[in-house]
Parts: sequence; C-alpha cells; structure tokens
Amino acid sequence: MSVLEMKQVHKVFGSGHTKVEALKPTNFSANKGELIAVIGPSGSGKSTFLTIAGGLQPPTNGYVFINGRDITELNEKQRSVIRLKEIGFVLQASNLVPFLNVNQQMQLLDKVKKDNLPAEKLEELYQTLGIRKLLNSFPADLSGGEKQRVAIAKALYTNPSIILADEPTASLDSDRAFEVMEMLQEITTNSNKTTIVVTHDTRLINYCNKVYNITDGRLSLQTETAQ
Amino acid sequence: MFLAWNEIKNNKLRFTLIVSVLMLVSYLVFLLSGLANGLENMNKAAVDKWKAQGVILTEESDINLPQSSLSLDDYDGKGADEFASLAQISSIATSGNNKSNVTIFGIDAGEFIMPNITEGEAFQNANEVVANDSLKEDGFKIGDELRLSSTEKTLTIVGFTDNAKFIAAPVLYTDLQTLQNVRYGEAAEVYKDQINAFVIRTDDLSNVDVKKELQVVDTTTFIENLPGYSEQSLTLTFMIYFLFVISAVVLAIFLYVLTIQKISIFGVMKAQGISSNYLARSVIAQTFLLAFAGVILGFLLTLVTGAFLPDVVPIIFQYLDLLTYGVVLVFVSILGALFSIQTIVKIDPLKAIGG
Ligand SMILES: Nc1ncnc2c1ncn2[C@@H]1O[C@H](COP(=O)(O)OP(=O)(O)O)[C@@H](O)[C@H]1O
Ligand SMILES: [Mg+2]
Repeated sequence: MSVLEMKQVHKVFGSGHTKVEALKPTNFSANKGELIAVIGPSGSGKSTFLTIAGGLQPPTNGYVFINGRDITELNEKQRSVIRLKEIGFVLQASNLVPFLNVNQQMQLLDKVKKDNLPAEKLEELYQTLGIRKLLNSFPADLSGGEKQRVAIAKALYTNPSIILADEPTASLDSDRAFEVMEMLQEITTNSNKTTIVVTHDTRLINYCNKVYNITDGRLSLQTETAQ
Repeated sequence: MFLAWNEIKNNKLRFTLIVSVLMLVSYLVFLLSGLANGLENMNKAAVDKWKAQGVILTEESDINLPQSSLSLDDYDGKGADEFASLAQISSIATSGNNKSNVTIFGIDAGEFIMPNITEGEAFQNANEVVANDSLKEDGFKIGDELRLSSTEKTLTIVGFTDNAKFIAAPVLYTDLQTLQNVRYGEAAEVYKDQINAFVIRTDDLSNVDVKKELQVVDTTTFIENLPGYSEQSLTLTFMIYFLFVISAVVLAIFLYVLTIQKISIFGVMKAQGISSNYLARSVIAQTFLLAFAGVILGFLLTLVTGAFLPDVVPIIFQYLDLLTYGVVLVFVSILGALFSIQTIVKIDPLKAIGG
C-alpha cells in the first residue's frame, strides 16, 4: 500500500475569467523510503500540490489517501489531527515559534501529541542534524541553516509517516542546501519515511529517488533511480 | 499554559505593561470600593449599631427621620421582640476652639439602642452625653462642655462610643429629657413625649402592628432613604462597573493586537496540526495569568495604601468585596480575550504557509 496516494486530484481557484487551474487532474503515489522531488517554476502549482497532499486544503475533485485513509472527506478539525499524526511539514519560511527555544519547540509537540520520539531517538536526531548545542537557543539567534535544521527536527519529532518540504532550501546557500538535502536523504532511508520536496532548485535532484516536473499544474515523472 | 507562560517570559516588557494597566485598574476599583464602603459607613454606622430590623416613622415623613414626629404612646411594642424610642436633632457643637457637626440622639438608657461605652462612662444625669470617638480626633475629650448652635444649654461629654456616625456627623447620645430641653427649651415639658421614631427588633416585620398614620420601614430601606445615600452609592457603584468594562476593553485590545501580530505563528502551528482549541486555551490561560497578576498587585498596592491612609479619609476595605471585585475583574478580562479567540479560530493555516 502506498503511504500517499492521489487519484484524479484537481484544484481550481476562482471561476469565470479569473479561473486558475492550479493543479490539473493528477495521479500520484509515494512509498516508504522514497525521497521525491517535484520541480517547477514559480506559480506552477508546487505548493498547491503539496498542501493538498498534506491535508491543508481539499482538492476541488479527486481523492487523497494517507496510509489508505481518504482525507478528502474529512473536516478541518479531523484533517488537523491527521496532520499532527502523519505529516511533518518543513517550510520555506521558518516555522518555529519565536518565543520557544529549540528544546521547547519539541516540548510543545509533547503537549499536543503523546507518542513522539523517545528521548534517545530525539538525541540521535539532534546529533544527525547537528543542533545538539543549540537546544537553549531561540529562533532569533539561529542562522538560516540552523533554523531549517531545527524545522526538520520539529517535523520529524512527531514521527510522521510523510515529510512534506516546500522549498526547504530557498533561504540557504548551496553548501547549506546540500547539507539539508543530505539529512533529508539520510532520514528518509534510515527511518523509512516518505519525503516529498517541492522546489524550483534543480540542484537538489541528485539526492532524490524520483523526480517529477510540474508546469502549469501538470505533473509528470522525469526520472526514477533505483533506491 | 506552556505556550502562554513561555511567551510571557520572553516578552517581559510588553506583558509587564499589560499587567501594570490591569494593576492600576484593579487598584482604582479597590479604592473606589473602599471609598464606597467608607462613605456608606459614615452615613449609616449609627443605624447599623442598632442591630435592628426596622424603624417606625410617620407616613408623612417620607422615610426621613427629622420629618417624622410621633408620640411615645403611639406604639406599644405589638409584634416586636424589642423596641426603643428615638428622638433626634442635628446641631453644631463647640468646645473652646473645637467645633463639629453633630447629630444628637435622645434615647432611653434602658433600651437596646443604648451604645456601648469604649471610654469614660454612660450618661446618667441631665445634660450628659456619650459621644462618638471620632470627635476625639477633632480635639474633644471627656469633661468638655459643649455649646450648641441651637440653644443656650451646654452638654458635657462623659464617655465615648465607637462607630456612631449618622449622615456623616458624629452622634451624641443623651437621655430623652435632655434632648427635649435642647430641642424645645421652655416648652420641653409640653413636648416631652415627642420623638421621631421607634426602632424595632423582630424576626418578622409584617407582624408589627401600627396605627394608620405610621409606617414600618425595614432598616435597609431606611438607610437607602438617608439624604444623599443612594445617590452616592449609585455613583460609586457605577464607576466601579464602568471600570470593569474598561478593563475588559483594554485587555481585549491588548490581546487582539498581540494575536494579530502572531497570526502567522498561529497559522504555522495550525498547519502542523496543533488545534485551535489548544491555542485558544493557551490565550485564556495567558489572560488569566495576566489578570490574576494584575489583580494581586492591585490588591497589594491597596493594602499598602490602606496602611498609610489617615483616619479622616473615609475608606474602609471590606475584604469580601475586594475578593468579589477581583474575581469579577479576572472574569471580565477573560471575556475580553474571547474576542481574540474568534480570530484564532478563523486563521487559515494555508495562508500562514504561503505559496
Ligand atoms: N488561494 C488561491 N487563490 C487563487 N489562486 C491561487 C491560490 N493559491 C494558488 N493560486 C494560483 O495557483 C497557481 C499555483 O500556485 P502555487 O501552487 O502557489 O505555485 P508554486 O508554489 O509553484 O509557486 C498560481 O497561479 C497561483 O496564483
Ligand atoms: Mg510555492
């Protein structure tokens, strides 16, 4: 069974002459251990694709299954629960809470969800991401790369089955960007996650098992490499 | 609480400001409440001292003690456990350089409205009075001869009692005969049975049976009809209620601005799957902490003020009142926060994520 499956997912904004077909009817599936890139220029529908996949907005038509469960039927409250349990978002802009230090960012998740990573796994995650020394720092004191690594830690701490990253390297220089991709790659393989990275940055494709192109809302498989 | 508390810890200045505003509002509420009590007490302390349930006045008096004129034999105690006769006049008492407005109560020393004696002794002979101890602050003392504005007669202070003020004037207690002498002069003998009211103690006022020209007024109504009393308490009560509204609005505005500033943070948290419910509870918890801190500090400030207040300032703090007002302040502050919660519920996580 696919971890994430989209069937004939279609998204239309507006109507009449303001109508935008942000996502043409799309079929897509992703499995455990896959790191997938979706590459396309600005306005091509990448974020629309990712937010529908992550249950942040419903499609106009079609179905989205997460671990076999159709989430298009659910209301916002139920989708919010799915997001908390199954999805880890890594976003372009920092998604850190400014008044919590790194360690507290994780504690916040403990307040809203029980079965997060055990202490030794979290410790491992901190090691992998190289943020062990930053636990008492606040977001304002972190560099762009550090913030992004903390954001990844936050996305992974709830032990989600799917990691969705929207332009995770946009604010980083090349070295930092590659570092982040390496980490995503390592985590996807070692913890058997499903990771989708949408980006306009073609330098990142080397890290991925599958690369899709998206232009004007049309998704097409470009390359597939063996895992 | 986790989010709420950490945000406060990391934004000390802005939350200190909010707490200070709440502190000042609650301080003002507490002072006004104290002032209301103090002023009420100045007007009615002597009435409270009776520990009576009702007063018999004439129908014509319009529940105004000086306007009520009746005779000692107008009431025989029917339906009352105890009753006491009361004659009253207002005057100005002077002794040497000391001068004060006074109310004089003419009473029967054997009846229950006879005051306790805190210093000196009870009046026994003609022209002796027991005075409220507030007169001591004005320089009066035992043995002083008081000249009165309305008569050539002089009275002598033989003792003091406490908590005896009537319509802001200290009370002088004396026997009925002395009062009649002061009031009627030569004609006192003719009017010796004229009094203003009977004060009654009973479990059930409706059992009290009086003549057609008289009325039985319960003590609360009697107090409310003291000149200026209701107007004064209403004004102060209105100010206190208005402060409740102000504190709710001030807090609502503060929290709303803070919430608007945090829309993207809330949005990101919601995208992550943190429920609106959790965020709303966090805002309530924060409001509670702020309001609670503000009220406690306001209370401490009130205590400090109370300790330094000179006796002439008519402020009396009743802790049960302060507690009630404190609870109301916290409660209305939380009402103010509900305004922001609606905003949080409406935040679309998608917008926060950006495209
Ligand atoms: N909420 C929306 N309302 C109207 N149009 C939208 C909305 N979201 C996205 N679009 C449009 O859909 C298209 C795809 O947007 P998006 O998915 O954000 O692209 P990308 O992330 O690749 O830059 C764009 O033309 C954008 O203007
Ligand atoms: Mg985008």
